[in-house]
Amino acid sequence: MRAAWAADLIVNITDSGGHPVREAVVYAEPIGRPVPPETHVPHATIDQVHKRFVPAVTIIRSGTEVRFPNSDNFRHSIYSFSPPKVFTVKLYSGRQAPPVVFDEPGLVVLGCNIHDQMVAWVVIVDTPYLAKSSADGAAVIKDLEPGDYKLSAWYPAATFAPVVSQVHVAGEPVTARVQIDVSGSPLPLVHP
Amino acid sequence: MIRISRLRTRVILFFVAMLILVEVSSFALINASNSRTATVKIEGELEVGQRVFGRLVHQNAQVLSQSARVLASDFAFREAVATGDTATIVSALVNHGQRIGAKAMLYVSLDGKVVADSLGGGPIPREFEYPGLLERATITGAAASIEILGRQGFQLVAIPMRAPLHIGWVVLGFPVDSAFAADLRQLTSLDVSFFAQSSQSWYSLASTLDEAGQRQLQRQLPLLAIPYATHIIDIHGSEQQARLISLTTTGGRRVVAVLHRSLATALAPYEQVRKTLIGLAILSILVSIVGSIWIASTITQPLSTLAQSAAQMEAGDYTGEVDLHRADEIGSLAYSLNHMREGIAEREKRILTLAYQDQLTGLANRAKFSELLSAAIAAACPGAETIAIVVMDLDRFKYVNDTLGHAVGDHVLRQVGQRLSNVVPSTGCVARLGGDEFAVLLTGATAAKVVDYAKGIVAALESPVLYEGQPLDVGTSVGIARFPQHGRDARTLVRNADVAMYVAKRNKSGLAIYNAYYDTTQQEHLSLLGELRRAVEQNELLLMYQPKVSLHSSNVSAVEALIRWRHPDKGLIHPAHFIPFAEHTGYIKVLTHWVLKEVIRQCGEWLTGGLKLQVSANISARDLMNRDLPDQIAALLAEHCVPAGLVCLEITESGFMEDPVHAQKVLDRLSGMGLRLAIDDYGVGYSSLSYIMKLPVQELKIDRSFIAGIVANPDLSTIVRSTIELGHNLGMKVVAEGVEDSNGWDLLGALGCDDAQGYFMSPPLEPAALVAWMRQHDGVDRRDTAWLSSPPAMGGRGA
Repeated sequence: MRAAWAADLIVNITDSGGHPVREAVVYAEPIGRPVPPETHVPHATIDQVHKRFVPAVTIIRSGTEVRFPNSDNFRHSIYSFSPPKVFTVKLYSGRQAPPVVFDEPGLVVLGCNIHDQMVAWVVIVDTPYLAKSSADGAAVIKDLEPGDYKLSAWYPAATFAPVVSQVHVAGEPVTARVQIDVSGSPLPLVHP
Repeated sequence: MIRISRLRTRVILFFVAMLILVEVSSFALINASNSRTATVKIEGELEVGQRVFGRLVHQNAQVLSQSARVLASDFAFREAVATGDTATIVSALVNHGQRIGAKAMLYVSLDGKVVADSLGGGPIPREFEYPGLLERATITGAAASIEILGRQGFQLVAIPMRAPLHIGWVVLGFPVDSAFAADLRQLTSLDVSFFAQSSQSWYSLASTLDEAGQRQLQRQLPLLAIPYATHIIDIHGSEQQARLISLTTTGGRRVVAVLHRSLATALAPYEQVRKTLIGLAILSILVSIVGSIWIASTITQPLSTLAQSAAQMEAGDYTGEVDLHRADEIGSLAYSLNHMREGIAEREKRILTLAYQDQLTGLANRAKFSELLSAAIAAACPGAETIAIVVMDLDRFKYVNDTLGHAVGDHVLRQVGQRLSNVVPSTGCVARLGGDEFAVLLTGATAAKVVDYAKGIVAALESPVLYEGQPLDVGTSVGIARFPQHGRDARTLVRNADVAMYVAKRNKSGLAIYNAYYDTTQQEHLSLLGELRRAVEQNELLLMYQPKVSLHSSNVSAVEALIRWRHPDKGLIHPAHFIPFAEHTGYIKVLTHWVLKEVIRQCGEWLTGGLKLQVSANISARDLMNRDLPDQIAALLAEHCVPAGLVCLEITESGFMEDPVHAQKVLDRLSGMGLRLAIDDYGVGYSSLSYIMKLPVQELKIDRSFIAGIVANPDLSTIVRSTIELGHNLGMKVVAEGVEDSNGWDLLGALGCDDAQGYFMSPPLEPAALVAWMRQHDGVDRRDTAWLSSPPAMGGRGA
């Protein structure tokens, strides 16, 4: 069910050169109000295709159960030494890997112990208002209750230090503009 | 010997010196070439060593980085690192390091801090000293370099660590130690040393050298200023070729590797060759010394033999034959020398024959005679008087030779030689001394025996020599000298025998034995010449005049000027004592001139005083040879205004016979001038009448030897008579000399002689005495001056 006054927040993300940045994550945290409670256990999937994590960047609400199907015809062995969720999934193929629940907010960097070049970033936030930018650099956070929000935006970098701004939502779709420095990012920026 | 040994030494020296030169130069060449080869070889080795070194370091780095990569991707290690479990990290590092042999294992966090260090070389965390290495590793995925940790050298490899993102670096260090150096040396056979420099001072990291060697090399590091170039250094006194490789330069620290190799080690393989060469050189020099001594000996030994033989020949010994039968040049030289020796011997024999033999007579010559005489004297026993020589010449040989020719003369000489040889005993030796002079050497004969032989010789030559049936009368005078009383050497003996011979000739005694008195005479003769000169200059000479008295009228018809010498010490000297000497020495020319000058002056003086007296002067055979004589006389006559007819020249027969043709010419000239000419001492010579007939002579003076015995000896009176008749028949006035008594005077008058001269009438007188005597004898005033203008001799009394 959706509230009739709820509105979307469109965040346009560009780099310092004004180019749209995709695969950037944004999330909004209500200021002075609690986040809405969890209605169901959310799910996410990070596939492994051609020795790559797909998607490379994922943003989830804490408590989300993430599945790691293996679409390659060889095995992968994924791991995380990131404090929010330290885990390993030993060699597996197909859908043998059990889902992993990320219940702590923060950044988790996933790697494959077999294929060092495979990296995936999982951003875990304590808010349901989250989105990832598409190829045009726009990320749409849906159904925001009217009110003020702390807007955070992040693109894979050595550390988890999102660009923070504040937006006000009043029943109407709101557009926000965020500029992120992507230089030195381990994930090369792909321009359309 | 010295010369020959020098030749040998020269040969040996030449060969040996040449060989040494060749050996030394080839040795030097080979040595230089070896040295160059070794240098080039080492250069190559250094080049290879440098490359191998680089490769090895690279390989080490590869291994290390592999190892580091393995470690970095080890899940447990990643987990330990990611979870910041330091103890686990360190233990993992140590464990891994042991597994791969790396000494240093470090983990450096992303902020450049050393988080874990297997060496425990400092506080944790601390700044990693070589951030550059990390940067390169981040960019290229792995980086390696040789660096210093603590004071040790390490080859470090840094690998970035991902989990999965870059979280730090694993740094592994492989120690650059002696094992590493030894490993390099095994691969490259080069000595390897590593040095580090911190704050300008070098220290050794690792080396294949011992401590001392490292220190030496360290001191010489500044010499190796240019990296990768070859330098020469000295380690333990041996030359090394070295290269410096700069490994790293970080923050004032420098690490270098020095690769070097000993030149001597490189030359070691050539050393054996060198020793062999030296051995060969010494051997070949020894062989060449022995060989050249041998060759030199084969030349010099026979040369010495030849030289000895030549020296033998030089000494006059031609008997030694050179005994060298060889096929080479020496052999032919020896053969030639032998031939030469024979040739010389033969020629010398011939020369001796020529030198010692008179070719005409086949007798010994003067040289041979002198030698034999000397030899006899040398061999004579002291006290023995058994050597004597007899010297002779032929009295009339010159006449025979001049008138009948040399062929006849030679025949006469041969005959005389033959006769002498027949007379002389076989122990004697007959020699022809030259010309018509012969000598006989008699040994082992007593004095009496010698005289007998001499008489035999005289007798043998008495009988005429026949030439084509014609008898030729030669005759001889013999002089004898005996050893030792007449001379102690050959020269003196011959000279004294000569003296004796002249005495015999003068005395017409046939033979004379030398007497010391003769020698005194000789000595007198020598001083006589000087005195005679003085006599002429100081007017010691004077003329005495002996009148010629006419047998028909008893009047003085003329006077003969006779020379006398009033010697200041010896008193009056008779001309017989100095005229022959003057004739012999040629001084007669001066005397004659003096006499003629005095005679003509005296004649002129008398003429001025009214006394017109014909004066005779004696001139010798030698004066007839003087071409100037007629002119000189003409000048004197003119000077003293004396008519030529007042001067008569008396010449002995021998005077004509010396050179009849020339004498005739001079006499013709004198006669043409109007001078009167007379033949003196007629009868003792051997004048040919046919010759005398041709002479322009007006007067014939019969020798005193005929007159002295004329009264007692009827034969002599017959001769004198016929001579007078002959003279008259030839239209001459005939004068007798030496009239001593009245018997002679009377007999001569009876025989028809024109004039007489002698002590019976008057001895020779000085001019004043003569004038006095004349005044007393027949009165000067009574002089028939007309007699002079028409002389009785020209009257042709007996014609």
